[in-house]
Formats: sequence, structure tokens, C-alpha cells
Amino acid sequence: MELLRNGVFRTLWRPIVNITRSVTYQYHADKPRLVRRYGYEEKIWSGGLKPRSEGKPLPLPEYRPANPWTERKSLFGQNDYIDILGPGDLHPVKTLYNVPSWIRGVRGSEYHILLRKRKMWARSATPSLRPTKWKEYEKRLSFLYRKLNRKTKTGPSPI
Amino acid sequence: MTSTLINVFKKLNITAVTQIRLCSSATNVVSEHRDISVIKKDWKFPPQYTKPREVWIENLDTVKENKLGLFELHPLIYATVPRIDLIHRNVEWQKKYRWVSWAHTKTRAEVRGGGRKPWPQKGLGRARHGSIRSPLWRGGGIVHGPRSGKTHFFMLPFHMRIHGLTSTLSAKFAQDDLHVVKDLELPTEESEYLIDLIKERNWGPSVLIVDDTDYAPRNITVATDNLPYVNIMPVYGLNVYSMLKHDTLILTHAAAQKIEERLLNHLHSNTAIQQAKFKLDQV
Amino acid sequence: MGSRQITEKSLVMLRSLPRLSLANIRDNPGSKKNTKRGRGQHGGDKHGAGNKGSGQRQNYMRLGYETGNNPFYLRMPHEPYYKGHHHRREYPPISLLEIQKLIDTDLIDITQPIDIASIVKSGLYNFFPDKKHFGINLTDEGVDSFAAKINIEVQWASEQVIAAIEKNGGVITTAYYDPHSLFLLKNPKKFFESGQAIPRRMIPPADVIEYYTSAETRGYLADPEKISQERFRLSQKYGYELPNIENDQCYTMLCERKDPRQIFHGLEPGWVVNLKDKCILKPKDDELLQFYAS
Repeated sequence: MELLRNGVFRTLWRPIVNITRSVTYQYHADKPRLVRRYGYEEKIWSGGLKPRSEGKPLPLPEYRPANPWTERKSLFGQNDYIDILGPGDLHPVKTLYNVPSWIRGVRGSEYHILLRKRKMWARSATPSLRPTKWKEYEKRLSFLYRKLNRKTKTGPSPI
Repeated sequence: MTSTLINVFKKLNITAVTQIRLCSSATNVVSEHRDISVIKKDWKFPPQYTKPREVWIENLDTVKENKLGLFELHPLIYATVPRIDLIHRNVEWQKKYRWVSWAHTKTRAEVRGGGRKPWPQKGLGRARHGSIRSPLWRGGGIVHGPRSGKTHFFMLPFHMRIHGLTSTLSAKFAQDDLHVVKDLELPTEESEYLIDLIKERNWGPSVLIVDDTDYAPRNITVATDNLPYVNIMPVYGLNVYSMLKHDTLILTHAAAQKIEERLLNHLHSNTAIQQAKFKLDQV
Repeated sequence: MGSRQITEKSLVMLRSLPRLSLANIRDNPGSKKNTKRGRGQHGGDKHGAGNKGSGQRQNYMRLGYETGNNPFYLRMPHEPYYKGHHHRREYPPISLLEIQKLIDTDLIDITQPIDIASIVKSGLYNFFPDKKHFGINLTDEGVDSFAAKINIEVQWASEQVIAAIEKNGGVITTAYYDPHSLFLLKNPKKFFESGQAIPRRMIPPADVIEYYTSAETRGYLADPEKISQERFRLSQKYGYELPNIENDQCYTMLCERKDPRQIFHGLEPGWVVNLKDKCILKPKDDELLQFYAS
């Protein structure tokens, strides 16, 4: 009922709107524009917000939605609870097959990880096959040793 | 005063339980009078303070759902407090403990060249520089950049992982996203059949099927082969992340029992060895 | 409110909430504290390095360095009080009180002879043979409240402990195990899974042979006649009546001892335990039998 009455009211009553224009500025609107820097082509787009209708296309990459159900993603986390739900003789860290063995289950600063890497790779062919890399490991290790032992505050003594 | 309070709570509890029972049975009222097997369990660790939860055993050999029996689940495993924070920490652990960041930048010592002083220290009116590979230079070394082989490894405490599993199972069960089926025998190896079945039973499009054996029957493996969002796992592969990634969790009858048995065993035994601090050379 | 109501209510609440997924879980608010170096007006002041000098430059000299003086640790002559301590044998202690506790909580079966394997199996004692730990030292804490009749085999025991066990009608033996046999006793399952034959136990080294052959310490190589004399002598010394174990109903259990070459109770050297088929394989070859005979 209320809705109907509103509708009727709207059709019957129309407000009077006077469209007026200020004459004061007509002079400025009509006077010829001074063209500055004639022949210069503006390279910066000033036609408003994106998307642009002319000029170069936007450097946006083509939208390629990621597939959340690839085999790796859909089976992510399998065997993480193998020590609880399995027979109990295998630790989940041992099932991280796609992590290199020298870093599997390791936690530590760059120095710790590099020490472990050098220790485990020293017996392999790496020192003779990649001498420059090997030299850089050693160089970095000695740098970190000096930094951590001589130039780092270790906090108050526990005693 | 206290007795009236206790009575009120008792009533509250009863209504809560009946609600769950009603809701799980209300969706599919058994119209045909088939003989339904009700399995009473011989508990190794009987539930102490709460009644066991009952669950329908469903079938997979018809698209339409048939109820084959009623089965009891231990409340310590399938109806514990659903700790969302524990579930979150389990998922975080699963993401982090395998995560190794291989991002790498070279320091000024490792970038090639830069041994020679580019110009004399004084007399040219230019800024003093000792190496063209200084971090101030374009093409120079990076200071405090990422160094290859950064790990985020840590082990979540053993019982936190157990409670992550029970919390997730309980949440899934409370939200009707956990179903127990008798076995995984399908009549055909068509994927269409499985898609129809999932749609008919209002299971989420993604389904995780858990069996207690390493080898699933041929028909279901062929049917799920080109459905990337339907996956089959053995019991020991079950984990919090996969349970949350998939909408619905389907356990076979044997798998549900095995999960329950394994978790209850851990909850009721001396786990000092598993609780000990993680040592790399001892796993 | 009991926890049952909380559980039920939270499960009922979950039914009406959206499905739990990877997108809508989170940790408890405030459970994580971010530790970052302060950057603001006062937070980034000196970053804990202090003002001026060596401290601010974080130039730390090596420990004991006295900026050019002859350091203290070099000025003093070396006095090797503990020389060779890392080569000595260690016996990690367990007290009679703890043994009593293990018995009371049913973690040890006293109807069977107790050895280091059964104590380790209780889960409340641990030792590391690779750290020169040579077995159990049974100490006398709780000597007055000890009240169990046991047949126990340890590696080291004092006179009071021996008296406390024998007073209750029990038997104690001190026996030597070489590190390899201790590894076997610590984790028998791991050894059996390797499929090797059980080795012989080695004889004790020269410096402890006296301990393990003397009857006062109930050594496993001592003469049984002398041991019974010592049992009586000890009861006279401490003034208790020695219970007669010959008339005891578990006399056979109390008389059980391992052979000096034997590691496990009931398993002889040379045998192979097959855990998969659940059977024991025994050697038949004469040469092997001769080798493993004690």
C-alpha cells in the first residue's frame, strides 16, 4: 500500500528545475586557446584512468590461473604423519625425497648450513670438479667465522 | 542451586548429542527395510566420559546412497575439541618443515672482477672507490641478500601433531564432511560414474579417499585417474593439510578403525622416545 | 563447566559454520610475537651495542685476552687434576628408590630376573655406551624403604645396596658387559633386525677383574660358596636375619644367572633371532659350537 502511494505521488508531482548558466565566464570559454609547444607530441597519457584505448597495450601479463590440483599440489603433505599412522619405524624427515640429503631436516644460520654442506661435499668430487665454487664456500665460511666470533655481540652470559 | 545447574547442563548436553544424531540421519532416512548391521565394538580403550559417536557405513557400488550398517567411532579421535589453532600450526609445520629457499645473491667477493682500484684515491675530483663490485655500484655485490639453502625446518611436538589429526578429523566429522564406506569396489571404471556419485551424495567436488591398504581396487584407480581433485591415499599418508585441501574425506571401514587404533595407542602409551628433542642423526 | 560441554558445544557450533579449509584457519590471536630490531626514534637508538669505542664497533677480543698482557690462563701453570677423565668408565646411577618406583608402577616385572635390558625397557632410565657408560650403578637412596624381592643384575653396587636387597630375600649380581653387548642390551630389537648372530660377552678388563671376581661385591665370576658365606657375613654386620631362599617359592627364579659369555636372558651366543618368522636359528656346525662355547 505504502509502495503504491509513493508511486502515484511521484508521477503527479514533479519539481521545477531551472537550468541556468552563468554568463560571467562565457568570455573565457569562447576566447581562442593559445597552443603551446606546437608540433610536440605528448608521450605521457593524460586521457584518464586505465584501460587505455590507444597507444601501447598495457604491459600486463596474460592471466594464467594456477592449477591447484596438479599432482604435486593435490598430494602435498602426504606421509607427514607416517611416524604416527604408519608402523612407526620411519620418521617423516626421511620421506622428504625431493629435498637434497645434505639439507634435509637441518636448521641453522647460513654458517651452520654452509659448514654442513662443506663437510658432506668434501668427500665427493665437488672440490676438484668445481674448484671456484669450492673456493667461494671456504672464503664465505672464513668470513662468517670472523663476523660471528669477533664482530657480533652474543648477549649476556647465562651465569 | 548446584544440582539445578548440573541438570541444566545435562539437558544441554543431551540436546546437543541428539541434534548431531538427528542431523546425520535426517538427510537420508532409510525407507527400505533392509537388515542393517549394527557393529558393537570391543574397545581396547573404552571411551570414558563421552558416548561413542555413531556413523553410517555407506556403499560405493550404486550412485544412490545405501546405508549398510551403523558403526561406532571413538570420541577421543572423532569428537574431540576442534582446536583450530592446533590445526593451523600443523598446516604451518607441514608447509615449513620441507621448505628450502634456494634464492641466492652474490656478495662483492663473489661477483667476478673488481680487484683493481678503478681510479686513484686523490687528484681527480671524483668520489673515492676501491672496487667496481662494491655494493654502491651498478652490477656490484648485494649486501644482506638471500643466501642459498635457507631452511625453515622445525619439528612440531609429537602430541601436537596427534592432536592436529584428531582435531581435523573431529571438525570434518562434525561438519558432515567425513563419510565411512564399506570398501572401494566400483561397478565400472568410468569417471562419469564417480562424478555422478559425488554429485548425488552432495559431497564436495574434491574428495580424499583413504584406504588401509597400499593397493586400491582397479576400478576406482582408473576412475580417479583423470579426476585430479579425487585422490586416494593409504592410512599412513593421511595428513592435516590434505584433509583440509579436500572438501570431503572418505574413509573405508578398515581405514577408520586403523586410524583410531593407531592414534589411541599413541595417546595411551609411553611416548618418551617420540617426544624427545629432534636430532638429525637419530631419526 | 566440564570439558564435555565445551567439546559438544564447539562441535555443534562447527556444524553451522562454513566448511573448515586451508583458507579459514588461523592461530590464536597474540600467540606470535615478532622480534624485530627497533627502527623508530628511540627504538633504533644504539641497538644494544652501547656508546662509543670497542663495544659500539662490536670488536670482541678472544676470550681471556688481556690486550697485550700475558693472560691469566697462560700465567698459571697447568694442574691436570682430571687428566684422562674422558677415558674412564662411567656408571650412570639409578637409586633403589627409583627401582622401587618402577616396580610399584608395574614398569618392571619382578617375577623375572631383572637386568639392564629390562630397566632400560621401562623407559625411565637411559645410558649411552658410546659415551663410556658401562652400565648401572645402583645407589643407596631409598635404602630404608626398599621392600621388593628381586633377582637383579647391575654393573656396580655398594655394600648397603647389597644388604638392602638381600635383607628382603632377593639376590644381586654385579656383572661386566663390554660396550658392544651394552648396545645390544639397550636396543635388542635393532640388533635382531640386523640378522646377525648374538656375539659372546667379552671378559672384563684387567683393572676391574678383581671387582667382578670378589664375593664381597657379588661379582659374577666369584665362587658361589664364597658368595653364600659373604651373604651371611653381611647379615651379621648389618644385623638382619638372612631369609632362607632355598625354601622360597620363586627359588628357581632367584637362582637364575647368566653365563659369563651370555648377553640376553634365555638366548645363547651364536643364535640368530628371526623376528619376521618368529623363530630362533641355532648353529649346528662343530666349529661354530666350539667357538661360541664358554
